[in-house]
Amino acid sequence: MASTGAIAMRVPVSRAVRERRETRNVFYVRAIVALAIVAIWEGISWSGLFFGDVVPSLAKIIPALFKLLVNPAFWANLQITLVEAAASLAIGAIAGIVVGILLGSSRFFGAAFEPYVYYLSPTPRIILFPIMIMWFGVGIASKIALGALSSFFAIALSTAAGMRQIDKVLIRVGRSFRATPWQMATKIYLPAMRLPVLTGIRLGLGNALITALLAETKLSNQGLGFMIMQIYTRFDMPTLYALLIVVFFIAGACNAVIGMIARSTK
Amino acid sequence: MTSVETKSRAAGKPETGQPVLIIDDVVKTFGDAEEAVTAVDHVSFNVKQGEFVAVIGPSGCGKSTLFNIIGGLLGEYDGNVMIDDERISGPHPAVGMVFQEESTFPWRSVIDNVAFPLELRGVAKSERYDRARHFIGLVGLDGFEKRFPSQLSGGMKQRVSIARTLVSNPRILLMDEPFAALDEQTRLLLGDKITQIQQELKQTTLLITHNLTEAVQLSDRIVVMTYRPGKVKRIADINLQRPRTSDVVGSDAFGHYVAEIWNDLREEASRGMQETEQVARADRRHG
Repeated sequence: MASTGAIAMRVPVSRAVRERRETRNVFYVRAIVALAIVAIWEGISWSGLFFGDVVPSLAKIIPALFKLLVNPAFWANLQITLVEAAASLAIGAIAGIVVGILLGSSRFFGAAFEPYVYYLSPTPRIILFPIMIMWFGVGIASKIALGALSSFFAIALSTAAGMRQIDKVLIRVGRSFRATPWQMATKIYLPAMRLPVLTGIRLGLGNALITALLAETKLSNQGLGFMIMQIYTRFDMPTLYALLIVVFFIAGACNAVIGMIARSTK
Repeated sequence: MTSVETKSRAAGKPETGQPVLIIDDVVKTFGDAEEAVTAVDHVSFNVKQGEFVAVIGPSGCGKSTLFNIIGGLLGEYDGNVMIDDERISGPHPAVGMVFQEESTFPWRSVIDNVAFPLELRGVAKSERYDRARHFIGLVGLDGFEKRFPSQLSGGMKQRVSIARTLVSNPRILLMDEPFAALDEQTRLLLGDKITQIQQELKQTTLLITHNLTEAVQLSDRIVVMTYRPGKVKRIADINLQRPRTSDVVGSDAFGHYVAEIWNDLREEASRGMQETEQVARADRRHG
């Protein structure tokens, strides 16, 4: 076994083949990790170490997942949360890009205002939630406001950094060909900044989703976060885990979509 | 826009030998009164139609300042830089610049990089691709149209930049050490390419360089600059036969010119080196 492995290693193969092999191996490792997690989970569940339904078996979670997916209340709440996250991201992205360009384009603006953005950005936004409720009510508006605030910082900071990182010679090239200000903006600045801006939007999306869910668990009457708390008060653990699995997949899918956009613009 | 088109090569350029670019008593000083540094000091010379002129000098002789003034990127200076009886005070359509740094747009394919100046002028896509393809062929990059700069070598990227500037049909090609970042062999071969292009297009060219062999290999005339403040030390005629290839570097005449210009340059270069070292020593003493 070991000797055949060594021989196989020595056969020269093209880079494409090697890369394909590596992708395949990565996939195997991932599958093994997933299986191991499931096995450990089941082991704990059957060992009876934990009280009752705290760690329910997959035999209970999977039916609960199916029941959840045919429940119209789940889809209504999912829609609410996604609308909140999307609206938060849209507002946060527009404001963040505008502010980021202002901070990045003028040394004076940057020096004067960036410390505020920088030091406010890691502040947990949830502490502003009571204020948002007073301003915008307990409905989706307060969640959107909070989500927009939390996505704004990441996007503004990475846009400002992207603006400063632009290779100065590209701007001189544009000037030497006598590009108009509009042409400079659309054909040089924006394309040169697209990667940091997309990174900011990706972080902003994560923040918007987290904030919307978190706010819903605190005080609301709709959305997935609200649903999680409802299920928790019923102590319906299989459904709670089923819902968490769904949330993982939504977050993963959102990230994948933005990753795809980033790759296609490369 | 159309005025640029009517000045195209076919539509009758001035006769060979007429000065196209006149640099007349140009002075450029940076900084305020006490700390003022004169980068370019009363520099005058002409570039004639179809001629290849190199400006050579040690680091700190104001070459790049001169490049930026002629390119119109440094609008404020004393004296006159004239093209067609027009004083340069901003980027001029008759001047096409090639920069020392790697300056292709990484998000554009080779053909979209080269077509960029035409895109700015609103030339239709099929026409600008046709013209871009012509210049991509001229710099020897046929077949690479769809590649991106990240897939090209340094020398290939510089050729893309040169093609991009040539497609804008400049009367004067202005290059600032375009091969500075490349190795010696690539530099010699690209020199051949430049000579070939220049002969094919009768392209008037002004090359800024600190490379002695490059200057002699390519030029009809060489303007030797002094170390700070940058003045014209001498203007040397290079009477090597044309058409010329990189083989010329082996000839006696070539060696003779290199030695002659090095003779002028050595004094300036060593003065520059001494001054830089003095500053470095002073910095070390004063912590």
